[in-house]
Amino acid sequence: MTMPLNYSQLLETNNLIQQNVDESYWLCVTRTVQESKLFPVPSYMMLSYLMAFYRYPSLLRKIETRMSAEELGDRSREMAMKHRAPGVSWGLPNFYLLGREWLINMGVIKPTDAIEDVMYVMDFWKRFQLALYRNDGHISRVQYGHRAQILSERQTQVFHSDLYTCENGDELHEAAHQFMASASQYGFLISCESRISLHNHGPYKLNENSEMIVRDFMDLAESDFPWLDGVAEGVEFNNITVTMAAKDCHFYLVDDWGSFEAEPEFSADKLIGVGLYTSDNLSEGYVPLGMDSREDLIAMFKKLDAQVKEAMNNLWKRIAGYSRDQMMDAGAITYFAIIKDLAHIAGVYDVDDWMKVDERAERFRPLLNDEYGRDVLGELVGLLSNPSQKLSEYQMMMHSNAPTKMYTPIPYSVLSGETYTPTAGPLYPGITNLPEKKDVYTTTRGKMNFAEYNKASQEFCPAALVPENRFLCETWVKYNAGSEKADALYEVSQQASRKLAGKGSSLSRDEVEGLRD
Amino acid sequence: MAKLYTDTDKFGDANASPTVEAFHAAVKDIVRQKLAESGGHWDSFVFDKSYTLITEEDMKGVEKMLLDAGHLFDWSAAISPTERPEAYKPVEGVSDDDMGEFSFEHEDAVTAAAEGGLEQRGQGDNVARYAEDCEGVARYIRSPMQVMKFLEEGVPDNTIAIIDDSGGTLTAPILEQFKGVICAGGTTRSHLGILTREYGVPCVMNAKVSGIKQGDTVRIESTGDPKTAADYQKNVERTVKVWRVAGAS
Repeated sequence: MTMPLNYSQLLETNNLIQQNVDESYWLCVTRTVQESKLFPVPSYMMLSYLMAFYRYPSLLRKIETRMSAEELGDRSREMAMKHRAPGVSWGLPNFYLLGREWLINMGVIKPTDAIEDVMYVMDFWKRFQLALYRNDGHISRVQYGHRAQILSERQTQVFHSDLYTCENGDELHEAAHQFMASASQYGFLISCESRISLHNHGPYKLNENSEMIVRDFMDLAESDFPWLDGVAEGVEFNNITVTMAAKDCHFYLVDDWGSFEAEPEFSADKLIGVGLYTSDNLSEGYVPLGMDSREDLIAMFKKLDAQVKEAMNNLWKRIAGYSRDQMMDAGAITYFAIIKDLAHIAGVYDVDDWMKVDERAERFRPLLNDEYGRDVLGELVGLLSNPSQKLSEYQMMMHSNAPTKMYTPIPYSVLSGETYTPTAGPLYPGITNLPEKKDVYTTTRGKMNFAEYNKASQEFCPAALVPENRFLCETWVKYNAGSEKADALYEVSQQASRKLAGKGSSLSRDEVEGLRD
Repeated sequence: MAKLYTDTDKFGDANASPTVEAFHAAVKDIVRQKLAESGGHWDSFVFDKSYTLITEEDMKGVEKMLLDAGHLFDWSAAISPTERPEAYKPVEGVSDDDMGEFSFEHEDAVTAAAEGGLEQRGQGDNVARYAEDCEGVARYIRSPMQVMKFLEEGVPDNTIAIIDDSGGTLTAPILEQFKGVICAGGTTRSHLGILTREYGVPCVMNAKVSGIKQGDTVRIESTGDPKTAADYQKNVERTVKVWRVAGAS
């Protein structure tokens, strides 16, 4: 997987870096600086960036020995795991590049160092993103005007048809709303104050007056994170998806950071339909939860709400007793391991790869007191005031018009003889201040140990992605709807649907709307 | 001492933060010194020899340099000054002893004399509009120890939490029990703002308040217009009032 070092490749790599400069700056400055009295947030974020710089290239190469970035992207349309967004879509390139930029500014590396790693990481990102967003045809959400229509019609129709209608004040509305509030709060705590356990995609147009947003709550149960061992034992599902139909508003922004914005503003009274699912890399698409009847769905929302609330209280007490180094580890691992699910999908997951702090990054931990962590993060992502980020005064950066750039491109001078180094090297050992990870992983097939999970991952391919189906895209469906092959493809997603089972590929959106309760 | 690639930089200048500037200058000195010790050949140093030559102890020395010069660091996470009080500025306004006299004092707080029993003590960004204003008893919540106490004993009825942490984790297990929240930081899009909206707890973010003491009865103008994302982007000034209810405490 060595990338060719030539002008075309460098031009592309630097363009991919620049795309992340523009969007990341926008994301950073349109949010507030995140602070916490509980977690040393900026300090652990900085540590995670170094972990990403030193480990991502090796870990991605390891993953691609079993599964390509393109196939990982394809499979990711069939499930809601965290690696998708904000994982690969934002975290992968940006955590890696932020680590690189910080090291450049400490004089520890040069812009000409590890350039094969840089080219490879950006190329992996490109290939995964293009496959993930195959249905909307973009490389990123910003390229689509901050929109993400990941789902195919086959999947969207099932979500649409199976929505249960609700209105402000009724029991289902209240139960769904309460669960989403609890799951959001629990997600912030699991992710050490960050929002990376929460994610949305869409919107999907249901009718003239209604759009659907798909909300994902991820890594909720005992699985990868040592800090959830025991305390989340009672949480039944690791990943939960809530489909949400809204009326009288248009979601004009659905970004990589789990934010959505609507015009007029979305409020509880605009929520008119909900559905509930779980999924992971071992499930055949999205598995309905409590969707057999309205009463079952209300009961399921209430049950899951109680489960996450209990886990949240237990987790909060555990974390309140953590040392600062343990909080740093948990936070840094949360960030760094934002793409760990790629290893699960490929069946090459290893606890030591993802749940430990690389010893090369660990050397810099003593720098990361609260004040330095806050200031260096602020300069790196907001002020862009590090020396490496300053450009000629003629330059005007997108969004700010300032002569700055968040990330340093690879100098083209390496093509004319300037010396460079190709890679930061292989995987080095890691350390942890956290208790040893319990060998339990909650999946859609129940709880498994680490070896069982990897084996099951290696053996499974969702029916929609087997070789004969993988390339049956939306354009093919347009011209082949109603054929035996197209019906069989649609029935893969319809088999668990309470409304569409066996209905095939010919239904229009309005016909699906007509089948609803 | 060896020269670094970035020592020549046509456009770069000092970091904005003196702490970052001092730390980075010190790390660069360490790199120069270790590079020279290794023979001065960068390509064999950067991802090989440097891994053993540049150490955790070196980085401890960087922080010590500032501490020895008398600098105490700002803290944000309560655990940091608890574990290393010698390295951080003193912690104030979190213990029961402090609470008798403690109050947030923001220089931009708009205050006014009492009128109809309501004395304006500041303003903030309303997260969501409610049918009625929100009135309750002010209680400062600024540390995990305070949250733990409320978690074990229950949050007193009618509590309006006054917080300076816009995150969603400090008060996670007790947030739902608040009658209202006045947060001295963040925006309506901060995690705390998002969660109070989801739970239906009236809240003002970015609150600039003055003179509100523990136990005061306060009222939030929750019936006012919420501040939207577009308001922030267009710098629209849109706030609601925070009052102390005269004679009610």
